[in-house]
Amino acid sequence: MYLQSRRTFLKGAAFSVAGVAIAKGVFTTDAAAESVTDSKFTNTPDTLSFYPDVSEWDSFKELDGTDWKRGGIERHGVRSAENPDGIQVNDYTIVPTVCSNCEAGCGLTAWVNKNDFDKGVLTVRKYMGNPLHTGSRGRNCAKGYAVTSQMYDPDRIPFPIKRAPGSKRGEGKWVRVTWDEAMAVIGKKMHDTLAKGDEVSKKQIMYHVGRPNENGFGPRVPQSLGIDGYNSHTNICSAGARQGTIQWANDDRNSPDWGNADLIFLQSSHAADAGHYFQQSAGLIADARKRGAKMVVIDPRMSNSAGMADLWIPTWPGTEAALYLYLTNRIVHEKDKDGNDLVDHKYVKEWLNWDRLMANKDYLQKMVGYGYISKVPEDDSYESYIELMKELYAPYTKEFVVKECKLEGMEYKLDELWELFVPAGARISSYLWRAGAIGHRGGWMNTRTGFLPLALRGAMRGDIGGVGMHHWHEISVAGKGDKATVAGKHPAKTDAWNELAWPPEYPISTYEMGFMLPQIMMDDDWHAKWTKRGLKIPKAISVYIPRMHNPLWINPDGFRWMEALKREDKFELTFNLSPTWSETNWYCDYVLPVGLAGERNDQQSTPSKPEQRIEFRQAVLRVAAEKSGWKPKDPTRATLEAHTKFGLGEVWEESEFWPNLIFHYVDPDGSLGIRDYWASKKDPSRCVTVPEYFDAALSLLPRLNETAKKMYKGEEYPVYSYIRDHGCWTEKTNVYKPQEDELKIEGDYVYAHGHKYEKNEVEKDQFGALWVQDGKFMKSIGIIQDKEVLGGFHTLSRKLEFFSEWLTEWKWPEYAIPIYPRNKAENDKMVHLVTQVHHKHMKGDNEFALNTIYRLPYNIHTRSVNSKHLMEISQNHNPIWIYTKDAQKLGIKRGDAVKVQIEDTLSGIQSGYFIAMAVPTEATRPGVLACSHHAGRWKLKDAVKIPGFEHTLGVMSLGSPKVSMTNDGKVGTMTTTEGIHPHEAWQFKEYNRDLDDIWWNGLSGAWQNAVAPCHPDPIAGNHGWHQKVILSKAGNDDKIGDIHVNYENNFKVYKAWRDQLTRPLTASDKLRRPYFIKRPVKPSQKAYEFNIKDV
Amino acid sequence: MNNDLKQQQIARINIYALLSRLTMSEVDEGLLKSIEEDENILSFFPTYKTWKKRDKFDRKELIERYLNVDFTNLFLLHLIPYESFYMREDQMMETGGDNPVQAIFNAFEFKVELDKARVMSADHIGIELEFMYELCRAEMKALEENDIEIAKQLAQLQYGFMKDHIVEWMPMYLLNVKNEAGTAFYFDLADFTLEFILSDFEYLSALKEKEYKYIA
Repeated sequence: MYLQSRRTFLKGAAFSVAGVAIAKGVFTTDAAAESVTDSKFTNTPDTLSFYPDVSEWDSFKELDGTDWKRGGIERHGVRSAENPDGIQVNDYTIVPTVCSNCEAGCGLTAWVNKNDFDKGVLTVRKYMGNPLHTGSRGRNCAKGYAVTSQMYDPDRIPFPIKRAPGSKRGEGKWVRVTWDEAMAVIGKKMHDTLAKGDEVSKKQIMYHVGRPNENGFGPRVPQSLGIDGYNSHTNICSAGARQGTIQWANDDRNSPDWGNADLIFLQSSHAADAGHYFQQSAGLIADARKRGAKMVVIDPRMSNSAGMADLWIPTWPGTEAALYLYLTNRIVHEKDKDGNDLVDHKYVKEWLNWDRLMANKDYLQKMVGYGYISKVPEDDSYESYIELMKELYAPYTKEFVVKECKLEGMEYKLDELWELFVPAGARISSYLWRAGAIGHRGGWMNTRTGFLPLALRGAMRGDIGGVGMHHWHEISVAGKGDKATVAGKHPAKTDAWNELAWPPEYPISTYEMGFMLPQIMMDDDWHAKWTKRGLKIPKAISVYIPRMHNPLWINPDGFRWMEALKREDKFELTFNLSPTWSETNWYCDYVLPVGLAGERNDQQSTPSKPEQRIEFRQAVLRVAAEKSGWKPKDPTRATLEAHTKFGLGEVWEESEFWPNLIFHYVDPDGSLGIRDYWASKKDPSRCVTVPEYFDAALSLLPRLNETAKKMYKGEEYPVYSYIRDHGCWTEKTNVYKPQEDELKIEGDYVYAHGHKYEKNEVEKDQFGALWVQDGKFMKSIGIIQDKEVLGGFHTLSRKLEFFSEWLTEWKWPEYAIPIYPRNKAENDKMVHLVTQVHHKHMKGDNEFALNTIYRLPYNIHTRSVNSKHLMEISQNHNPIWIYTKDAQKLGIKRGDAVKVQIEDTLSGIQSGYFIAMAVPTEATRPGVLACSHHAGRWKLKDAVKIPGFEHTLGVMSLGSPKVSMTNDGKVGTMTTTEGIHPHEAWQFKEYNRDLDDIWWNGLSGAWQNAVAPCHPDPIAGNHGWHQKVILSKAGNDDKIGDIHVNYENNFKVYKAWRDQLTRPLTASDKLRRPYFIKRPVKPSQKAYEFNIKDV
Repeated sequence: MNNDLKQQQIARINIYALLSRLTMSEVDEGLLKSIEEDENILSFFPTYKTWKKRDKFDRKELIERYLNVDFTNLFLLHLIPYESFYMREDQMMETGGDNPVQAIFNAFEFKVELDKARVMSADHIGIELEFMYELCRAEMKALEENDIEIAKQLAQLQYGFMKDHIVEWMPMYLLNVKNEAGTAFYFDLADFTLEFILSDFEYLSALKEKEYKYIA
């Protein structure tokens, strides 16, 4: 039949364009050589060797990837001296390392091609997963596989650079220096500061750490210097969650057992599609769901997780506590289908500190006064406590939560939640982190209330499928390589307390108030006020050291950061240990290029499941070279030498940099008493090496130590060798409910948490807690339950603290139990707990809550900016999400430019605006806009000319548009002027042959962080990221990406939050902070002493 | 060489060229213009000819908003335009040297520039159709040089390649494309390709039955 239509096809002869002009022409002729079959390779590989056996890692041979273009080895055989036309066989050393793009620390393997090692060439062909890593299990997210494009980023800074003499910070004029030249200047400045030896000088060097991705080395640095100078970034990422968890358990955060849970209970997209510990968590959640587990996501935005959940509940942001207390209300009042109480009484009775609450009549009386309960319970019994709970949480009804969380029309979702929640019993896993807990004033109460229903159901026991505690599953030994040093011991705690990071308005913050450093430094009135009262606060920071951090860009009120960093009287010497160009670099005196995932040496530990595991990030070129016989000239600089020799550039990393800096330049003669903490015990004439230090640190893990010594018998550093070859180690699996482990008691001694106490120095209190003297303070070490001596939780009561007794002593008694305002009067009164974006503040159709706290799964804050692979998949992914009907009301259509005006609800002050692209969608709830604050990078110049260097250095040329900027000390503006223009790939050409294919222009986001004023929570100290905004269509002169900031107004907002909301320390206070709660790099007890006069 | 035969052979060459090009890569503005402005070509795209979106958008917009999206869906993401996917029981693509189509190309000392074609293996629909185009061109050249024996061998080869490969799987794939197509253009392309390859196979079968006695 087709022949009948054949005539039709004859028209093909009359085509006006001949076939030869149309055909793509993909065939060429290629005469085959004699086939060479003597090879281990088959024509098509039998298997895809993603993960060859570890025994092959030192030399794994694989056909070159272009094999597939060649038609198999039968075509030309395998390349050899006799057969030069054959297919190349690559000889890889597979070096395990760890991703450094987010905190998850997933295992990687770097496939280091050593074909041309003899010619001095080593390159990483690709990064894959590490199958030995029991958390990531050989898998990675897009960011893990993108490490190659970060490593061979054509714009990488190839050597240390210094602000050109005579130029000002921010001018963008740089000269090349050597590492030693930079270290000489920096080291002298640090030496001169420390040599003063007074209290103020111990606060003048600040190490401001971005994502640390290591467990203890960084804190050891300032501690060894004898200063209080560590400054983490927790208050812009996690302070709220930490505060709530500390109040419950004196632990940093919780640790879920996703894989064995029956209900995955998520607030926000965290864990399943971004953040702690994304990819590992997502895989375990997927496993659980395959097994039948259900998933609930509470989030105003339909994230990827919410989109595939069994139930999505879009509560109004910041009101989640109401929902949790509604669950609590039902749990304490209702029974299961068999008529049993839903409260796990045995667990609650044993492990919640209800007994202390019931014994504290003063506080119970206060609760009556607050209106929480009608009368003080008649007795101290558990039964009376349950009755108290029933009365306390009765107001959190369905009607209340529907109104408070604005779930009108979605009431059925609450019923569905209950239907999912109850059958899961104690197998509910959750991870309360970021999002609700960091975005809001009072966000910490999210964690406080969120854990309550879980605790009542027994899910907080840390048993299978439930919720454990973070430190149970984490190993931090990176700061403990002391035995490798001349000192042979850990540096002593400093006696200084740094008010710049720990100001007296925020005594229980979690942790350093680093995001408002410029506000503190520039506020002379604040300085004068506290100085007058007797505190010794430096007026200037002598040496400011951001590390893998971009504080100017990521923190709120960016123009204030810019102003501050330009002030040489406030920040005398600054250097950024930075793997990439960044906005902060631009305003520093030195940029010292440090390594990424495969270019560093760090011990990390990520508690993504109930086990104890470490991973080891290492400089893969160094390791591969050493395995091939290369030796560095100076073993203390092996990583720097390897990177320089094998083409990466003069890229270094901290575990070699700091020992060298301190040993040679900060304390060259040992007169400051610092040098010995970094001098090598093996050879005191030099500082420690990576193998020496980490062998000593990791030897502290007993099972690893034993295994490594058997496997590497006779080697000098067996534990280091093990971790070098495997990249990870799981010390212990199935770590469940360790609080129920008995303390070891032998003879006259009690052993608790690595310490030994004489029995007769241990005192038992009326609640069974065991106490010992700890310097000037008492600390608890365990608890007696049913005659058993158990370790308990890390709280003073050794129980989970429903009642945070210490919070009452630290000025916040009304919030010492999980609570949330139940009516308008309470909502107004409990201002510290009520989100700044509460719906009561939204008056008109154009007023919204802006949800800024969600990660884009393919970006990581700032260091992914020039990864072309990640940039490509993240373009135009960060518009303003607006609910469809809200958009209709305002006449806003998809793609419209909109003006987002930020207004503070505490002070009523407006900050300014940013212009963004609107996308109407059903995936954000009514009244709430969404726009992640993780986009909107910028640069002022495309490239930098370094005198005497033949190439110009591109500046973020694959990821950031160019802007023009104005700032006069009060008002700042920014507008994008040009999109992406890839800079010439003068380095790493082989990896950047595709630069011509870059299609994106980068003009897709505004730097909203600069517009946001500082919102320091008065208790947790977190920056409340969310904003009330007023939305309108952009004007004709506005374009997407523009910002306009009145940062003088932002300063007023900051002061309003500080002065109207905090309860600062006074002359009646004798301590800076509760000694027992967590604080990174804890100073001495003496430093905690507080003695001021009221003025 | 008889004019009818010549016309037929030119037609086959041109059509194989067009089909291989369009199934291998996204259409570009120039080619789309050629198709639209040539009544003979356009007649093979009858639905597209009257597609209303053509009135609304210029070629660039049409390509960016609709045709490229459809191409991505039909050739890159959701349908698998590779013979091995359709022929292997495990529905895996064979991208190594053991691919039977690759083996044929190897035997004829043809090398496919896979990166230029932007395909994963040599048994992609566009590559197989371009192979037919190459064979038709070679046959034409032989006929023009009156080298009937070579032409016959080339026609035999075409018959064998179609019988063992193209006809075995391509119709299934093209029917799927017709079902899934979201634009008139790719619907028509699938229909056109399907009709043509079956027609051409009948032609080659008939030629075989006549023991390759070409029209004198």
